[in-house]
Amino acid sequence: MLLNAVIIILREVLEAALIISVFLALSQLLNRNLWWMLLALLVGFSGATVYALNLSQISMAMEGTGQEVLNAVLHSVIFISLLIFMISVPHQAHAKWRQLNLVTIVLAVITAIIREGSEIILYITGFFGIPDLLSPVLMGSAVGAGIGLSVGVFFYYLLVNMRTSYGIWLGYLILLLIGGSMVAQAVEFMIQADYIAASAPVWDSSAIISERSAAGQLLYALVGYEATPAPEQAAAYFSSIGLLIVAAGISFMFRGKTS
Amino acid sequence: MKQWLILLSLCCLSSAVIAGPPVIEIEIKDHLFFPDEVRIPADTKVKLLVKNLDPTAEEFESYELNREKVIAGHSEAIIFIGPLSAGEYPFFGEFFPKTAQGKVIAE
Repeated sequence: MLLNAVIIILREVLEAALIISVFLALSQLLNRNLWWMLLALLVGFSGATVYALNLSQISMAMEGTGQEVLNAVLHSVIFISLLIFMISVPHQAHAKWRQLNLVTIVLAVITAIIREGSEIILYITGFFGIPDLLSPVLMGSAVGAGIGLSVGVFFYYLLVNMRTSYGIWLGYLILLLIGGSMVAQAVEFMIQADYIAASAPVWDSSAIISERSAAGQLLYALVGYEATPAPEQAAAYFSSIGLLIVAAGISFMFRGKTS
Repeated sequence: MKQWLILLSLCCLSSAVIAGPPVIEIEIKDHLFFPDEVRIPADTKVKLLVKNLDPTAEEFESYELNREKVIAGHSEAIIFIGPLSAGEYPFFGEFFPKTAQGKVIAE
């Protein structure tokens, strides 16, 4: 039970911790106030609690596809925040762009916490009526959260302590991969809810790296790895990364005109 | 009489269309799936109705099916799967993976 709790919580925390740490680091590198992060954490956890407490009703809404639709929306909100963030970064000299930039950071962090936090809350609260299991689950969860947060802290210090330009580039690269992963997951939920017709996987790399293996799990958290993605998922992944690069590139070229 | 027959056949036809994909029920009890082997026709879309009878939440998850859905305690969820080519597709309960194991067999 204990080890199981470690793994479950680690998986959920890792993804949110990665998004938060990269944004924190980029905020630091861009000389932003970090107090906003506290507000984002508070709102995020409140939202996650509301989601977890109402999961049954949400699941049965929209003919049983409410959970998929909400998750797809949350993933899309994170992607759109990333997109606007990347567009707004080159125009930091302009007050309005700076404001918009901060809004996207806060929104992405809140949404990531709602998405991952709700599952953690549901998992743990399920044991409230079972005292025998509750303490190993809480202990395991604490260890899992600790490991996940440590990875986040590691990435934060890695980015902040690099030469600023390298740190920004690496942060951007991680955000690109997160962006692709978010859109691919949104598409997966739309297939699961039957809004997008299911089709055969475009490739099967489960023999090389299984999603069950530690490497597979880590790759899933870092780059959104899927061993058997639907063609729509793979297309969504690569085209959304392409969109982020093009949008960031165009915005960078026009940076002189708004500052 | 002929008109009645036409009406009747129309009713049958429309109900078949409205019914949509076949529904298969799976229960979760004591962190086990009942049944733990679900046989479905290959190349057909199927609607799984997963009823969680336990007080604890469970996450229905399958890497092979690319599905994941959290089901709160004492509630149910709908998951569409397929059309699948013939073969075995394991699924598991992420919150209790030691016991909650099952597979979909498309044939």
